[in-house]
Amino acid sequence: MPPTVSNRSTCLMTIVAAVALIAAALSVTHADQSANRPQAKPPASQPPPARSYTIGMSQCNLGEPWRVQMNAEIKKAAEAHPNLKVVFKDAQNDTLKQRAHVEEFVSAKVDLIIISPKEAAPLTEPVAKAVAAGIPVIVLDRRVLGDQFTCFIGADNKLIGREAGKWIVKKLGGKGKVVELKGLMTSTPGQDRHTGFREGIKGSQIEIIFEADMKWLEPDARKEMESALARFDHIDLVYAHNDPGAHGAWLAAKAAGREKKIMFVGIDALPHEGVMYVKKGVLDATFEYPSGGREAIETALKILAGEKVPKEITLGSRLFTRENVDQGGEPLGPPAADERKPEPGAEPPPKSE
Amino acid sequence: MTFSPESRPRFAPAELIRQPAFTALLALVLVFVLGLLFSGDGAFYKWGTHRDALRQASVYGILACGMTVVIISAGIDLSVGSVLALVAVCFSLFGIHWQWPAYAAIPLCLLIGAACGVVSGGLAARFGIQPFVVTLAMMVFARGLAKTVSGGMKVSTAIRTADGDYSYVEVPDIFRAIDSRLLDGNLSVVSLIFLVCVVLSWLCLARLRWGRYLYAIGGNEPAARLSGVPVAAMKMLAYGLCGLFAAVAGICQAAQEQQGDPEAGVGYELNAIAIVVIGGTSLMGGRGGIGLTLLGTLIIGYIEKILSINAVPEASRLMLTGAIIVAAVLVQRRKA
Repeated sequence: MPPTVSNRSTCLMTIVAAVALIAAALSVTHADQSANRPQAKPPASQPPPARSYTIGMSQCNLGEPWRVQMNAEIKKAAEAHPNLKVVFKDAQNDTLKQRAHVEEFVSAKVDLIIISPKEAAPLTEPVAKAVAAGIPVIVLDRRVLGDQFTCFIGADNKLIGREAGKWIVKKLGGKGKVVELKGLMTSTPGQDRHTGFREGIKGSQIEIIFEADMKWLEPDARKEMESALARFDHIDLVYAHNDPGAHGAWLAAKAAGREKKIMFVGIDALPHEGVMYVKKGVLDATFEYPSGGREAIETALKILAGEKVPKEITLGSRLFTRENVDQGGEPLGPPAADERKPEPGAEPPPKSE
Repeated sequence: MTFSPESRPRFAPAELIRQPAFTALLALVLVFVLGLLFSGDGAFYKWGTHRDALRQASVYGILACGMTVVIISAGIDLSVGSVLALVAVCFSLFGIHWQWPAYAAIPLCLLIGAACGVVSGGLAARFGIQPFVVTLAMMVFARGLAKTVSGGMKVSTAIRTADGDYSYVEVPDIFRAIDSRLLDGNLSVVSLIFLVCVVLSWLCLARLRWGRYLYAIGGNEPAARLSGVPVAAMKMLAYGLCGLFAAVAGICQAAQEQQGDPEAGVGYELNAIAIVVIGGTSLMGGRGGIGLTLLGTLIIGYIEKILSINAVPEASRLMLTGAIIVAAVLVQRRKA
């Protein structure tokens, strides 16, 4: 059927409407972004005091509540300094999107970039290009390869796993039957929390009777724990790589009526999750996995003021047990940032081995 | 050739073997034998293992009930996982944070799920958009809505107060009730809910006029339309029902986790489709039934359980599950 006059004009109207919509969306986003950009851009080497700075924050995903917490901590720390503006970009766990975000920050000439990369290799080059363009880059939590970045701030999952192992050995008196519920074993945190734990229990008579990959998910942890409960009549302790996993295991044990006879240990210690579980008597212990949001802003301020900062800052952890949870837990590993007092140009603090 | 739910299978052996229910039952028996052989230190012989296998398959099974209805009408619904998350978040918000009674929270949650389904079905029916595309869009939209409603965090018994601290509340009774067991600890309430969903979908598909219309639409839509079947209304009903079941699944998920997780249900739609396909319902539409879906749920549930009690490593599990799905579908293949 040949296109009639009405067909053609409908087509034309649709195209015009679509272009108008896209133009409107772009102009709204543009107005939003230019409101965040500072007006003057003097060179970063000799900034006058109380100048307004823009920090670009590239987060790999906001699906993990822990990352939502990281962004919230950065926002809270930045709010204490009215001369700081932080622009948040969420890559929705897409590496290519995150590359694009870094490149966008570079072309927008932000004063500093904070990035929590999804993966090391694909983000190494964009970060290096940013540094080469004169923008300092703080890498948070997950690393990039090489050394083309200004500062890496992260916690040490191996340390946390090892401390968990040592605490479990102490609590069980050196022997016992333990179930290990692992996080996604293709991710570095899962691997580190696993190897650290095995190092921590080495030399004791702790026996890992059952281990399964629950992929950080609570329903999966519950399923695996049900299998473990069906298979083993005697379980002393469950070590889960994260608090939702430990909670799922506890729910499975509760349904079987065995939750009082088993101890549960998790990691992450988010205030509304892991710490709550310890307070409520669900978990016996949880280890904090700090997000480093506050430390990132503190380090950013130092960099923007022209101070020298260490190449690597390893965050310490805290142990929360039923005995110390009301006091806010007790610190472990390298000292927390507020207890550390680095002088500019001094040697970096001793790394946890 | 359409399969009318009214025709009774003849009981001659040759006819019996060709019934799709027979092949699904055979697959289930084979999986069972696998479990008896690889019993995980005797765990397969305990009743608790079977009760738990049914419990863990129930949420998928509830989704599969709704998916069966949609697939029979020659459609597909990719949004069920996201609608599950949205309703889980809403149910937790209503029940834990706002302390609503169950008779207020549950109907509203069911309405939310059904509304998502009706919107998908309406767009597919009225504007002729492919169900795949419409429900894909709803999948993304509902996920975003779930994250907006929950503020990106899990809606749990820790409520954030104005000064940034947390106050803790108790898990509501309805959550505990849904996550409990009946019959002296031998049947999970969630499993019972799943079985009720199976019966309801069977009533809809096999005993009501609507069900017959859905088979007709799935078998030959132009012919159905010309015969006077209200195609658009039926499609909206089918997707609305699917959304309703996704809401039921979301309520069960929230009760079992004692929280509303906006990230829940990722990938669940694929599990639901796999269950329907393994049961023997054709993706082309017009053929199949809810009994097949029940068998498919049991097959998938038992496969997962057997792999779990034997502590099979994750990578092997994924490969084995993929291979078993292909094998089950090959067995189901009908020769023209």
